[in-house]
Amino acid sequence: MKEVINIKNISKYFGKFKALDSVNLNVLKGEKVVICGPSGSGKSTLVRCINRLESHDEGEISVLGHSLTDDRTCLESIKSKVSMVFQQFNLFPHLTVIDNLTLGPIKALGVSKKEAKERALYFLDRVKIPEQAYKKPNLLSGGQQQRVAIARALCLKPEIMLFDEPTSALDPEMIAEVLEVILDLANDGMTMVVVTHEMGFAKKAADKIIFMDDGKILEENIPSIFFKKPKTNRSKKFLDQVLNH
Amino acid sequence: MKSFKYIFVFFFLASLASCSSSSGNWGWYVIDPTTKSGLANIKFLIGGFGATILLSIIAAFMSIILGLIVALPGFSNNFFLRSLNRIYVEFIRAIPLLPMLFWVFYGLPVIFQSLGLKIEIDAFWGAVITLAISDSAFTAEIYRAGIQSISRGQREAAQTIGLSQFQAMRYIIFPQALRRILPPLANQFIYIVKMSAFASVIGMQELTRRANEIVVTEYRPLEIYTLLILEYLILVLLISFAVRWLEKKLGSNESNSN
Ligand SMILES: Nc1ncnc2c1ncn2[C@@H]1O[C@H](COP(=O)(O)OP(=O)(O)O)[C@@H](O)[C@H]1O
Ligand SMILES: [Mg+2]
Repeated sequence: MKEVINIKNISKYFGKFKALDSVNLNVLKGEKVVICGPSGSGKSTLVRCINRLESHDEGEISVLGHSLTDDRTCLESIKSKVSMVFQQFNLFPHLTVIDNLTLGPIKALGVSKKEAKERALYFLDRVKIPEQAYKKPNLLSGGQQQRVAIARALCLKPEIMLFDEPTSALDPEMIAEVLEVILDLANDGMTMVVVTHEMGFAKKAADKIIFMDDGKILEENIPSIFFKKPKTNRSKKFLDQVLNH
Repeated sequence: MKSFKYIFVFFFLASLASCSSSSGNWGWYVIDPTTKSGLANIKFLIGGFGATILLSIIAAFMSIILGLIVALPGFSNNFFLRSLNRIYVEFIRAIPLLPMLFWVFYGLPVIFQSLGLKIEIDAFWGAVITLAISDSAFTAEIYRAGIQSISRGQREAAQTIGLSQFQAMRYIIFPQALRRILPPLANQFIYIVKMSAFASVIGMQELTRRANEIVVTEYRPLEIYTLLILEYLILVLLISFAVRWLEKKLGSNESNSN
């Protein structure tokens, strides 16, 4: 199958601190990759390098055949093909839900207002909150806000979806509704990179699991083996911690 | 509740006025509307409102635009552009208004002349330009603070939905920053109104100039300057109420959309 993300030996520094240390990762079209690891291990940084919210210092990343560089045209070429869902939702508080969803397609992709609206309503339906379209985001629950954020990302018809701990800011009773939406998307064949500690979700959805610590990928494995027989002590310890909570 | 404070101020001034009958220090006749000359004086003094208001509004308007033009390079990734912003702000902010006014009114025409340009600056535009430039350093900083107060997550979300930097500013950052920018901008307008008094020294016939002219002919500084202060007080209080109203409106907006 086609390789959509190819990360070769990248490193990333924040000042002197090495946040990513020679990371290699390939993601195939339609593949679901779950990234886990302790806090501060570089998961967010890695994911943010893929859509260039951070730039890497060494190595190479190519996304959908485009090598990511400082060149502006590279941003143009992957723009909206890689979409992202943040831990803190980052909805636009001054816009209604529907305007949150249509802004990107209209302004960035040049889609007509009518089509953007149809698209938005379709995806709101898919994340199961069609009735909230004309409210401001702050009137919704956390789970609903995150589902709006997912719909907003989908409205761009991306080829790759990145999730950075999409349920970590949610109250426990809302986690399931968000995971269900993401799972639904996974079953639909979307290519996804998901940073999460929800191991139940990883078991169900992941094609492979990446375990990170100290800016390095310590283990890359398929879920069935990762959960039964983790390769390293650190991944074992990590699993004990998350599974017993 | 707040209005009690203002009522107290008026009461205080009114009681000052009432002293006049018992004390020889006061001569309120100069602005006694029941006498012909008093009424003429009052009319002359109040006649300055138009110029002060017009001067302030145009200067404020120019400052709001100029401030934005100055603020924008401050957000650039380019070091040179950012420096331009800092230098302008630090430099302009450091110049006292009065010397700047003299420089613009008396100095600038000399430069124009030496360049062979026939541009004349009258007192009105001299004052407008000076106030606008002087104030723009402050408005630029207000824009900066407002825009910086919007979280990085908003910018990143804008980027991930494909918006360009300009579009992100236009549709995401600026609209949210605006409600934090407007109240301090409106406050800045009060500053301009008060500073417009300096225009009197270059002959602009606004409130202060007119008061000075009557003082020179009537030798009654206490009464006339009291009235002058009252005139500014009324203006500033009106703006102040408008700002409160604006803050309240924006504030209630915020509580149901953030
Ligand atoms: N913008 C930044 N500036 C400095 N250090 C950062 C920045 N972003 C992340 N880091 C550091 O890089 C490390 C990895 O961060 P992150 O990728 O967010 O970890 P994770 O998502 O796995 O918790 C952390 O030690 C964090 O403090
Ligand atoms: Mg993180």
